[in-house]
Amino acid sequence: MKLEVKDIRKSFGDKEILKGISFSVESGKALGLLGRNGAGKTTTIRILMDVFHANSGEMFLDGEKFNPRKVQIGYLPEERGLYPKRQILEQMVYLARLRGVSKKEAIANSEKWLEKMQVSQYKDKLLETLSKGNQQKVQLASTLVCNPDIVILDEPFSGLDPVNSQILQDVVRELIGEGKIVIFSSHQMSYVEEFCEDVVIINHGEVVLSGNLMDIKREFGENQLVLSGVGMTAEDTRQMVEKQLADYVEVTGTSKEDVIVRLLNGVTRKQLLKRLTELDEFSVEHFETYKPSLNDIFVAKVGEEA
Amino acid sequence: MRRFWTVFEFELLSYIKNKSFMVTTILIAVLLGAAMFLPRFVDMSEMLGIEKTVDNDKQADWDSEDAEEDSQDIAKLGIVDEQGFFTEKAILEQTFPNAEFTFMKDVDELKEAVESEEVEAGFLVKDDLNYEYYVLNRDITDENQFIFNEVLSLIHKQIYCAENGIDYATFVEGYEAVVECEEQILGKDAEDSYWYCYVLVIVIFMMIIMYGVMIATSVTTEKSNRSIEVLVTSIDSTYLLFGKVFAGAVAAVVQVGLILGAALVGYSMNHTYWGDKLDIILDIPGNVLVGFAIFGIGGFLFYAFLYGAVGALVSKTEDINKVAGGIQMVIMIVYFVVLFQLQNPDGLPMKVCSFLPVSSYSAMFVRIGMGSVATWEIVVSAVILFVSVFVAGWIAAKIYRMGTLRYGNPISLSKALKDLKKAD
Repeated sequence: MKLEVKDIRKSFGDKEILKGISFSVESGKALGLLGRNGAGKTTTIRILMDVFHANSGEMFLDGEKFNPRKVQIGYLPEERGLYPKRQILEQMVYLARLRGVSKKEAIANSEKWLEKMQVSQYKDKLLETLSKGNQQKVQLASTLVCNPDIVILDEPFSGLDPVNSQILQDVVRELIGEGKIVIFSSHQMSYVEEFCEDVVIINHGEVVLSGNLMDIKREFGENQLVLSGVGMTAEDTRQMVEKQLADYVEVTGTSKEDVIVRLLNGVTRKQLLKRLTELDEFSVEHFETYKPSLNDIFVAKVGEEA
Repeated sequence: MRRFWTVFEFELLSYIKNKSFMVTTILIAVLLGAAMFLPRFVDMSEMLGIEKTVDNDKQADWDSEDAEEDSQDIAKLGIVDEQGFFTEKAILEQTFPNAEFTFMKDVDELKEAVESEEVEAGFLVKDDLNYEYYVLNRDITDENQFIFNEVLSLIHKQIYCAENGIDYATFVEGYEAVVECEEQILGKDAEDSYWYCYVLVIVIFMMIIMYGVMIATSVTTEKSNRSIEVLVTSIDSTYLLFGKVFAGAVAAVVQVGLILGAALVGYSMNHTYWGDKLDIILDIPGNVLVGFAIFGIGGFLFYAFLYGAVGALVSKTEDINKVAGGIQMVIMIVYFVVLFQLQNPDGLPMKVCSFLPVSSYSAMFVRIGMGSVATWEIVVSAVILFVSVFVAGWIAAKIYRMGTLRYGNPISLSKALKDLKKAD
């Protein structure tokens, strides 16, 4: 299966929220939808789920017009909510049956997912009697109870402690392994990096970066190096680079101990290394290819105006 | 359609699992049913104004108890008889069987006796057409004057007859001849149908107000607990709202049916003990019950859909009344118009109300029960009502869908309708 979103635009009143969002995702892959608060991630997801109607643009599933009611979708909305005063199993079965699953299958699926989320012992309890973390796990189990082909998770890790996050990670890995389409938005880049082959970064309603995560990292880190000197702080190294290496590199960033530099046009690594060895006051500690984290890429792409 | 039943089942279960709903229903039904058996075990004949329907032993027991109570309840009254009309106390004893008269010499003695509460009240008889009544604090149920008027009037007639040489017995026979009338009602007797129509108008009014608010609350709760987004992305919102409203309707019919059923069955088993006194409320003709069921259910659904839409326009349950005010006002106006026009079921206001979908639920069955209404009128009104129900349901489902993610300040129903028009 391949889900394609093409040039989605959406305005609320005079304000244009989405200015032409496009991306695609295939079965067995996870797509990370990233962006700052208010960037348009949730609006995009809600349009996918037909909560909102787009002003223009199209969505296709395997080349056919996408209708979220004609395919099983597990949707975990940003605004979590179930029935606090109803039994957990009862409401999970209800939600599965609303999506067309038979009662028998709904019960079996509910029990399976509650087991996987390690909350099966609460199945006959009222939801409101559970802790917030366990309620979140029940919500996730409810999302998957219809045995979906497409799973859309809006901030799935929020509110989970590290142990519960690990349980969810295992579940997401399993879903990807089963060939589901997984779309999830998150601020927690480490999770996105772990699962997502593809990412889409949205800023002010526009896609500012999209594609295969490995390619993006490679492209983003191209011609960039990490430098540090023995006994020198990052600030000392930066000053030295700006003073002594201005003809070779430009500083693109600093970390706690290192400086990130980009080779100027025509300059090779060999030339830079040679120049460094010529400097008496600088003794090389680190000289390696810069491998940007998703967080670095995200900050570089959408963090300028922060 | 299967998903509609899924919603219906889930929503109906929420009523059944609601302890206060179930306890209230069972408790009221049991109490009301039990109350119908009361006259079997407790003497209520005096209260009901009927003859006792009990066996002779009990009758004898009760008679002796009554006599005992009566002797304790003897009222003491004073009288100043200036003309000597009551030299024989017999007439007073007959007309005031539970009173003991004390004759006094003048008005001062009478006043003093009343003020010191030696007697409850007293009469100063000046002549056969004039007397003064003295009492310390007049009770609202005080009938002494009324009875004494009759006594004095009798004496006046006797005096008149004596003065004019007329035989009193002949005079009474001629003067107080009984007029006989045999009533032949060819249509409906408003006196018979008035009270059960009155009760049914109140019942349907209460059902709409109570369950309407419950349905609105159910919708708003789904917004406030944020489950609505999962729901509207799982199923067409029309099924959601229709499932909710029909579940509310069934819950209402079952609850009211159980309570009314308990009363009707209990009464039918004990109506002789009640001296058929409750027939005016509980002996409802089949055609009125059918009219009540059809138009009541139609009206209930019509307003339930509007309440459902209102529930989607607010984010917090405490805001429901802010938006539902308009609907409640219409329901109240209909209620009062129908009640005030109950004695004029064939008047223009009732005729108009019986065709409007906002009021036919109440006005039409009153016309069926009390007035003259043609079959075509009933059919046309029912068609208008049920078409309106589906139009209201369709609009309400749209409003419900539109209100899904609108949080914050309550949106008025009129604004929602305008927004709906814009969206189309």
